[in-house]
Amino acid sequence: MSTFALALGVALAAAAVVLVALPFLREPIADDDRLDAPTPEQSLHLSLVEERDRALAALKELEFDHRTGKVGDEDYRGVVGPLRRQAAAALRAIDRTPSYRDGMSFQAPEITPEPGPAPDEGTPPSPAIVPEPSPPPDEATPPVQPQIPEPGPQE
Amino acid sequence: MAELGRAALVVSLGLSVYALVAGAVAAVQNRRRLAGSARNALFTAFASTFIAAAVLAIALVRHDFSFTYVASHTNRTLPTAYALSAFWGGQEGSLLLWLLVLTGYGALAVAVNRRLLRDLVAWVVPVLGGIATFFAFVLVAVASPFDTQTAPVDGAGLTPSLQNPYMVAHPPMLYLGYVGLSIPFAFAAGAMLSGRTDERWIVATRRWTLVAWTFLGFGQLLGAHWAYVEVGWGGYYAWDPVENAALMPWLAATAFLHSVMIQERKGMLKVWNMVLVALAFELSVFGTFLTRSGVVNSIHSFAKSPIGSWFLAFVVISSLFSVALILWRLPLLKARTKLESALSREAAFLYNNLLLVALALTILWGVMFPILTELFKGESRTIGRPYYDFFLRSFGLPLLLLMGIGPLIAWRKASARQLVRTLVWPTGTALLVGALLLYSGAGSSTPGLVAYTFSAFVLATIVVEVVRGTRATGSLSKLVSRNRRRYGGYIVHAAIVLLAIGIAGSSAYSSSREQRLVPGQTMHLAGYALTYQRIVHPYNPNAYETRAVLDVTGRWHGTIMSGDNQYRNPPEPSREVGIKTDWLRGEDLYVIADDVNVKTGVVYVKVLVKPLVNLIWIAGLVFLLGSAVALWPDAREQRRLVTRLAPARA
Repeated sequence: MSTFALALGVALAAAAVVLVALPFLREPIADDDRLDAPTPEQSLHLSLVEERDRALAALKELEFDHRTGKVGDEDYRGVVGPLRRQAAAALRAIDRTPSYRDGMSFQAPEITPEPGPAPDEGTPPSPAIVPEPSPPPDEATPPVQPQIPEPGPQE
Repeated sequence: MAELGRAALVVSLGLSVYALVAGAVAAVQNRRRLAGSARNALFTAFASTFIAAAVLAIALVRHDFSFTYVASHTNRTLPTAYALSAFWGGQEGSLLLWLLVLTGYGALAVAVNRRLLRDLVAWVVPVLGGIATFFAFVLVAVASPFDTQTAPVDGAGLTPSLQNPYMVAHPPMLYLGYVGLSIPFAFAAGAMLSGRTDERWIVATRRWTLVAWTFLGFGQLLGAHWAYVEVGWGGYYAWDPVENAALMPWLAATAFLHSVMIQERKGMLKVWNMVLVALAFELSVFGTFLTRSGVVNSIHSFAKSPIGSWFLAFVVISSLFSVALILWRLPLLKARTKLESALSREAAFLYNNLLLVALALTILWGVMFPILTELFKGESRTIGRPYYDFFLRSFGLPLLLLMGIGPLIAWRKASARQLVRTLVWPTGTALLVGALLLYSGAGSSTPGLVAYTFSAFVLATIVVEVVRGTRATGSLSKLVSRNRRRYGGYIVHAAIVLLAIGIAGSSAYSSSREQRLVPGQTMHLAGYALTYQRIVHPYNPNAYETRAVLDVTGRWHGTIMSGDNQYRNPPEPSREVGIKTDWLRGEDLYVIADDVNVKTGVVYVKVLVKPLVNLIWIAGLVFLLGSAVALWPDAREQRRLVTRLAPARA
């Protein structure tokens, strides 16, 4: 083995050791060395957010399928109510779990806020054209139309 | 410099082992700094492997024959591009490429997700470290590209069939695909190990899967074109075990890309998605095992070596690991909703999945059959083309039909009446096209006619979908930008249709003729007249070229040459075909000249006319376009992910 290659190999190994040890070199004594794992409350919140996104995405997709003729008026009326209730329930459940806001320390990158309400694929989400046949059975008053923020996962 | 390459690989091995062990300890004991250290080990493993790869690349370009690998796979007359492509032309180099791509992909995936998915990434690092450990170990202990020798005057040269521009791109593409499937596997395993089986791992790996799938699909098309122009038997896909080895993970990944949408929308098929991700990964490693072990006779058997047993052990261990993980986490993977109707988009995706996986497993059985018969009966029995063609038709044609029906069915539940109304235009178009084809004589092949008719149906569906969607949104660009995944997917569907038309046209409606010719003699086929003129020997510094010159008249006027090359180093022959492409018809005139007798001038000529074959290659470009549209960064999706994962900021 040539001296030059040996030196390069040693330098490479040394550099690797330094890089691997970097978290300990930067912070020899850590106040809190625990991984930033979600608490049970945060996990619950996450599942509720997924549920909300799914319901909102389903609503959005239903609107689009209705507008493109894949779903007839009658089918639309039969499905839109339960979907809205599902979305509203998810939103209410999220509101009922405020503890997720405490202690959450995910380092999310800075993002530009959404300029305005995201227009729908087919824009006017005006389900009023096809009114719901009846108010939801489990509520005295019709459900509050949920604020549809960002749509959920799309195909 | 070989010592530097060797040292870099040893460092990579050490770092990979550290990423595995320290990463696992950090994840289990919930130790933040140790997890960061394991992560850095993975990043540094990439840097170290990159140094090793650079050493080998420099040795190849400089024809440094003191490297055994360089001397075995190049010679002085080899052009620089082919000398570089020898990196993956042999066993050890291609394993190094595996490790380089794996650590590169892994480092990037971990770096991108380390903040948003810190808890999940802590478990992903040891999984990636484990995979990297295996490849680094094989490179250090079993098949090192840095073995040295007393430098000979010249090297043995590169296998002639690999001296083709397609071979510069085809293997790296496949590797980018094979290895890319490690990322969704690592995230899926990480999700199961951590017990956090929510959708974050899917969101994090969606693009990785799509990238790997694109490379694997396009790489296979490049390989098919290489076979078509270089191997010279007149076809492009021979159901060779190693070709199949690339097709199987691609089919599994295709199924995953579809079924994952069901999980995102309905929270269903969680177990199935884990199975598909594991299956795609295992099949990709199995493919490498087939390529490298020499257990099957294949056109790719240039790379035989004893590392097969190591790969087999790795496939078995990682498969058992995957199965155990899925069984362990079954309670967490239970679906919360059920399929509402057998007539819904979800159901269509499910049927599509079953067909894709059935096709992949059928091909797997065909690949394994010779190995199993040799193992249990003592003699190897190979399954031939009719077996594969039968199952391709049995599963492929229904898949094509589903590709047309699926997008027209509503999510959740579709009414039969509404579906019939939606299907009117595509069905009408397909029936009209089928009738016209029947009238024009395409009924000579029933599978061909069915494939064409189904293709017309799918294309009509895509057009109807785009037109209705554009009407609903107001503009095409708005429609596509609002849902790139869907419309990118439709473009990919169009590519698959072109592929189906090309395959059907070039196989079901091709014509061929073989004839012994003496100078001045003419043969006729499908409107072409080919008159054999003479034999010529064009100059080539690395080979003795022999070509029969044929004048073509009839549907095309010109000259076509075909013959063979006798390479000097290595002393191997290579068949060189003559191809004339008619882009207007998408048709090729394909000429194979065999047994060219220089003394008597006699030559055996096989001529093939392959209608629409060029649609297959065009399909590759359309496929890339569709993937690019689906992959295009979506700021809204990124915002949604950040909002979901960091609700305190929302």
